[in-house]
Amino acid sequence: MLSIKNLHASVEGKEILKGINLEIKAGEVHAIMGPNGSGKSTLSQVLAGNEAFEVTEGEVTLNGENLLDLETEERAREGIFLAFQYPVEIPGVSNLQFLRTAVNAMRKHHGEEEMNAAEFMKLAREVSKQVDLDPSFLKRGVNEGFSGGEKKRNEILQALLLQPKLAILDETDSGLDIDALKVVSDGVNALRSEDRAILMVTHYQRLLNHIVPDYVHVLAGGKIIKSGGRELALELEEKGYGWLGIKDEETADSAAN
Amino acid sequence: MKPAPTLSTAFLESAGQSLPKPLLDLRKQRGTALVDMPLPTRKTENWKYSSKYLKLTEDMASPLPSQGQGMTGQDVPGYRIVFLNGVIQPEASEFPQAAGIQVTSFRDLDDEEAEALAGQLDSTLDDKAVQLARLNAARFEDGLLIRLKPDAVLDQPLFVIHEVTADASGSAFPRIFVDAGRHSQATLVEEYRSSGSEPVMVNTVAEFNLADGANITNVRLTMEGDNVQHIGATGVRQQRNARFESHTVGFGGPLRRHDLQVRLEGEGGECKLNGVVVTQGKQHFDNHTTIEHVAAHCNSEETYRNIAADQSHAVFNGRIHIHQDAQNSNADMNNKNLLLSNGAEIDTKPELEIYADDVKCAHGATIGQLDEVSLFYLVSRGIARREANVLLTMAFINELVEQIPLETVRETAHTRLNQFFDQTFQEV
Repeated sequence: MLSIKNLHASVEGKEILKGINLEIKAGEVHAIMGPNGSGKSTLSQVLAGNEAFEVTEGEVTLNGENLLDLETEERAREGIFLAFQYPVEIPGVSNLQFLRTAVNAMRKHHGEEEMNAAEFMKLAREVSKQVDLDPSFLKRGVNEGFSGGEKKRNEILQALLLQPKLAILDETDSGLDIDALKVVSDGVNALRSEDRAILMVTHYQRLLNHIVPDYVHVLAGGKIIKSGGRELALELEEKGYGWLGIKDEETADSAAN
Repeated sequence: MKPAPTLSTAFLESAGQSLPKPLLDLRKQRGTALVDMPLPTRKTENWKYSSKYLKLTEDMASPLPSQGQGMTGQDVPGYRIVFLNGVIQPEASEFPQAAGIQVTSFRDLDDEEAEALAGQLDSTLDDKAVQLARLNAARFEDGLLIRLKPDAVLDQPLFVIHEVTADASGSAFPRIFVDAGRHSQATLVEEYRSSGSEPVMVNTVAEFNLADGANITNVRLTMEGDNVQHIGATGVRQQRNARFESHTVGFGGPLRRHDLQVRLEGEGGECKLNGVVVTQGKQHFDNHTTIEHVAAHCNSEETYRNIAADQSHAVFNGRIHIHQDAQNSNADMNNKNLLLSNGAEIDTKPELEIYADDVKCAHGATIGQLDEVSLFYLVSRGIARREANVLLTMAFINELVEQIPLETVRETAHTRLNQFFDQTFQEV
């Protein structure tokens, strides 16, 4: 489904991704782990089409189509979804209006009829329940005043509504307490299907207890330095990134604590 | 040195004689006082950014016809007064009939009532600050007088539709005077519209005189066409514990000027002034507001937002003057601006003059562009860039539009704003 070949990308002239190679097939769940600053978030942003990042080399195809030629909104309509590490607060645009505009943009793209306000309200209420978000959140500004956990649940709510082909989850577990983590994981697991792929980007292996990946990759210094199955994550948890010869102060600190 | 241009005498020749004598006398006297009135130039401080848009040609001096076709009043959720080119159209209007409430055309006043009114006109305005609006007193052909007796409550909002037919060049001078007695209460909506395409001027004055505890809400929609120069002034005087709320929504034009002057003259007075302006193409809009904290213990809260697209130009000048005796004043002014293109210009100037020593006074002004991070978030969900722009731009002013107290007026504003945005982001 997704094929990344020798991807290089930089931000403000500084190269962050230094030759990423990755193949993801439909139905698979991949996890990318790595210390801070390894390029995990950059990879997510580049795939979603953030223009702040410049692709300097390499290619990315989604079902054979050149992804890098597409605008951000076109990528989304072709099935790329990024759950943001830090979802943006947009006061003045109601969550409901935002979600309906997005869903209708997708439907229009697929030649389906747009949903009217009443139809959409019904759908949105159902899906909110699925991620344990009170429907009153639909009426508030997009992420406005939401707690960290509520923001993450709102991201999963969007994924469930938009039904992407490839869902990229950028540090979706960060800032979640155990109950919220469970809700979010259930939401992600509900997304798992034969024709959909999931790419999880995470620092810790905690999330992988709830969403069990098929493959785990370790990203360091802008390259994937090791790939393996689920057991790789467990090994990392036990031994820390230092085991692979990577410096990671945060992990070292948390291990010391 | 070249002498400053003065107002053409043609503008001082009024035609109609349909007003009661005391008002005709007043008009004549005001006209005489305006002979040789200098027109604002770049060097006139409060017209610095706007004088270049003012184009009062002599053919605009003539009055526009006071009767016209098709003035079947539109449906409004309340009482309706229709002005056509500055003259009230009784057939198209629905006057409220209730005890303690007088709503009358200036033309229908008896001499005694007219005499009393003549003594009050312009009493809420600082003449020096609103030079051009003074022209209204020299030229008005009609006006709407609203007198609310103590404790009178207008049960429905009163819509004043100011229609201008620009089939020929000329000017209109509509006028409103509201005298709100003790603890009276009313909501007044002014909507300015136009048809036709010849260059015309609307020169309009609305005055609100609030006795103790009176509570008035004024909504003002400036939505005339691109051939209409609009020069408007609103004057407000508030006595003890009176409350005034103003919501203005303005669309740009060749020249748009609104002066809003509020005087808090009694303790415990409160005013809230909200304004939204959107301009596009080569349009202009200039809001000048003044809040005079004369008495102690008054609150003022002012929030204006400008959005300028293309090569348009928006101006905001907000003055707060806290007099020496106005201790414990609380004044908060906020102006945020959004530039949608490199060619657009916004000038904003807060002016604070504080003579009392125990006051709380805050002001803030920002100018920015649409937030790239928010934009990326929206388009990453498949939303078209143009639509994302519209959502974010609307978000910038929604907070204020949502505070307009009447749903139907809010809807009108929304509809017009959507039309504006449909044109604005065409090329994106």
